[in-house]
Amino acid sequence: MSDLIIAHLYPYEMNIYGDTGNVITLCRRLQWRGLEARVEPVAVGEEYELAGADIVFGGGGQDRSQLAVAGDLQRRRDAVHEAVAAGTVFLTICGTYQLFGRRFLTQAGEEIPGIGVFAMDTVGGRKRMIGNVVVATPWGDLVGFENHSGRTRLDPGQEPLGRVKKGYGNNETRRDEGAVIGNCFGTYLHGSLLPKNPGFADELLSRALRRRYGAGFALAPLDDTLERRAARMAAQRP
Amino acid sequence: MAACALGRLTGRLSRFLGRGGSALPGLVAEKVDPHLIERLVAAVRRGVVVVTGTNGKTTTTKMLVAMLEGEGLEVITNPTGSNLARGIASRLIEVASWRGRVEADVAVFEVDEAAVRPLAPRLEPQVLVVTNMARDQLDRFGELATTASHAAAAVRHAAVAVLNADDPLVVEMAAGAAAARFFGAAAPIRRAMPSDSSLYGDLPEAAPSVMLDLSLERAEAHGDGQVVELAAASGERAVVRLQVPGAYNGYNAAAAALAAAEFGVPLGRAAAALESTGPAFGRGQVLEYRGRRVKLLLVKNPAGLNQAIRLLAALPPGAEVLVAINDLDADGRDVSWLWDARVEDLAQSGHRFGTAGIRAYDMALRLKYAGLEAWSETDFPAALERFLAGVPEGETGYLVPTYTAMLRFLDLLRPGAAKREVWS
Repeated sequence: MSDLIIAHLYPYEMNIYGDTGNVITLCRRLQWRGLEARVEPVAVGEEYELAGADIVFGGGGQDRSQLAVAGDLQRRRDAVHEAVAAGTVFLTICGTYQLFGRRFLTQAGEEIPGIGVFAMDTVGGRKRMIGNVVVATPWGDLVGFENHSGRTRLDPGQEPLGRVKKGYGNNETRRDEGAVIGNCFGTYLHGSLLPKNPGFADELLSRALRRRYGAGFALAPLDDTLERRAARMAAQRP
Repeated sequence: MAACALGRLTGRLSRFLGRGGSALPGLVAEKVDPHLIERLVAAVRRGVVVVTGTNGKTTTTKMLVAMLEGEGLEVITNPTGSNLARGIASRLIEVASWRGRVEADVAVFEVDEAAVRPLAPRLEPQVLVVTNMARDQLDRFGELATTASHAAAAVRHAAVAVLNADDPLVVEMAAGAAAARFFGAAAPIRRAMPSDSSLYGDLPEAAPSVMLDLSLERAEAHGDGQVVELAAASGERAVVRLQVPGAYNGYNAAAAALAAAEFGVPLGRAAAALESTGPAFGRGQVLEYRGRRVKLLLVKNPAGLNQAIRLLAALPPGAEVLVAINDLDADGRDVSWLWDARVEDLAQSGHRFGTAGIRAYDMALRLKYAGLEAWSETDFPAALERFLAGVPEGETGYLVPTYTAMLRFLDLLRPGAAKREVWS
């Protein structure tokens, strides 16, 4: 009997830059509070009922992998939109984040269609944006590592995840990072993201738990001294 | 050969100034004569061997050099860490006569997997060895597919490619090779090699698609090293006591022996050379220090960390382990890869853990989320003291550092040695 179900989209294709660390973090932080999560990997071609998941996670991948999953994601387009509308918690990172926009135009001029959850387009560039990032968000400063050549432009009405204090974020010019709609989050931050940002990890867990067990559900606090130390060090690195 | 002379002078000057010989002479000489490398290697009598890939380059190179020298051949090679064009140019200048002539039978060069593409047409290798292709320092190399395409392009310039049959990205390279030879391992060893995914176990295994020219049939831990059995397609077999542990070093031994066969070295004599080859710089090396043994397990990427984890998990419980993670350019600035390794496999090990380096807290955090407690110390001398305090006299402690963290510890364990090893 598990308290939350975490669906991990395309773990074999989209698992670069330690994104699996996010799933490990969600599971552990539940465990430390006496709760339990079941992780369900969702493979390309596999039938899967997204509506049954409490949290859906999708990580970054190499170009080749991203192409491989883009078609499969199209198949799940309606299911994803329905789950987002129903308040399922989503965390999408880098490659999956890009595919949650309308489209990705590669440097070669190829168009990879996204599923249009976020009102944004991504265009491939020559220069990669690489380095440690600090982003100011309503859930505190998030610290991560970015490594992407795609430049993402949000539509005027599309809310970003936060403002870049250090690094690039969505693109080189606008200093916005990521995107949010309801309980659906997108970001370029690897690192892994959640281990060093426990407040944000707990925000995702709380939203999922409240949705399933009622608004009164509160997570017991944990000792995050080590998490904060690691985040502070990362924030100082180039 | 003005470029050559100038390069040598720069080397002496920079050593005199205490910066180590470094790649500076090569850099200077290459500026003066951009065809210096081609000119110098042209005189190498039996040609050049290039060893590239993500992991195992240094060890494979060292093993191959021992095999060729065992045949009485005069071999030149580049020291570890100098595996870019300028490092190779520096080494060639160093061994060249003042008239700019290199006297050698074979040159064996370890070449960085990103630098190999432009270097291969210049070196025209007789043999090119690709050890494996794993994710590594993506902040530097970009995508794995890109790195693999560099090695694939390089393969086209070699007379013979020696390839890892158990690595699909490497097998693909055979398509562009003039001739290809394959090394690999028997199914039980192949299956036991850790894969990338820590959470969902291994991908379904694909049967090897090629015939092996040399196969690693057995690999069993033995003392600080292991006993391996190699079997050639010709029917030759050899049981070898390697001084280095881990099945991945069995692969390195097979790669080296297969490359040596191209120079007529029979498997039996290659095996003898393997037995006398000590570990390469930091790769399973044991240093005696204050009556204790410190075993160095250099890690550079998740595949390498998984290898170290496998080795540590097989030890009797209670070992003192210090993992030291730096994030300088030579280490890779992105430490995300710590989360790609199967650290959870250590949860039942019963070892004691400490973490050090610039990113000590990141590693401690990784251990914490794998259910393991660890102390952290970002100051290197303090970390070493604390680590040694946990190793009883006469016993072995395990130091698992990234590249620049290893140099810092070597400075403490063997003052001056790090500089000599890297720049000699």
